[in-house]
Amino acid sequence: MGRGRVEHVFDALGDPGRRSLVEAVASRGSATATELAAGLPVTRQAVAKQLAALADAGLLQATRAGRETRYEVTPEPLGDAVAWMVGMGATWDERLEKLGRALSKGKAAG
Amino acid sequence: MEIEREIVFPASPAEVWGALTEPERLEEWFATEAELDAQPGGEGVFRWGDGDERRAVVREAEPEERLVLDWEDDGQVVLELEEVDAGTRVRVVERSPEWSTALELHALAWVAVA
Repeated sequence: MGRGRVEHVFDALGDPGRRSLVEAVASRGSATATELAAGLPVTRQAVAKQLAALADAGLLQATRAGRETRYEVTPEPLGDAVAWMVGMGATWDERLEKLGRALSKGKAAG
Repeated sequence: MEIEREIVFPASPAEVWGALTEPERLEEWFATEAELDAQPGGEGVFRWGDGDERRAVVREAEPEERLVLDWEDDGQVVLELEEVDAGTRVRVVERSPEWSTALELHALAWVAVA
């Protein structure tokens, strides 16, 4: 891979919004813009645009499925490492959020 | 490969340690089902709703300070607690199972180019 492509990938990962989109795709296995936009205060089009940019950077693989495009984390050796990191990062973010709620419930009860 | 997260909870180290080591508390946030003997050499078994199960051995357990679990698949998770004015700072590091040497070298070379 040339230098230009590496810089492109790390730029894409550096934007917190895009990193969390990669994490969201990684933790689901695969996802469409509609699925990711559900329950978020962003439009499907905004999510679709960011997903396309991530696919362009080589971080996500796109497959057309009817009218929607379905995305997966790219299955290359470094993609696996990235997928592990973003997936495990998302897992811990969720755990720590639940731990915070469990701790405050414990205090309220006590 | 490893990931790291840090967060401060408005709770005492004792309260946080309880949530990290008591099975009923672990089931509120870490896993769907949890068994843990929170002392060095103790065993842990964790199950998640999707059917996943992981076993661990406790490598370190310093109450209210540090808990280290060695996963059966060679990964590891480190949880460190520090008392701060706002409560307790929790730092977690999870290390992945060993990647093959070739993959690690590939990954390191790739990062170096950036």
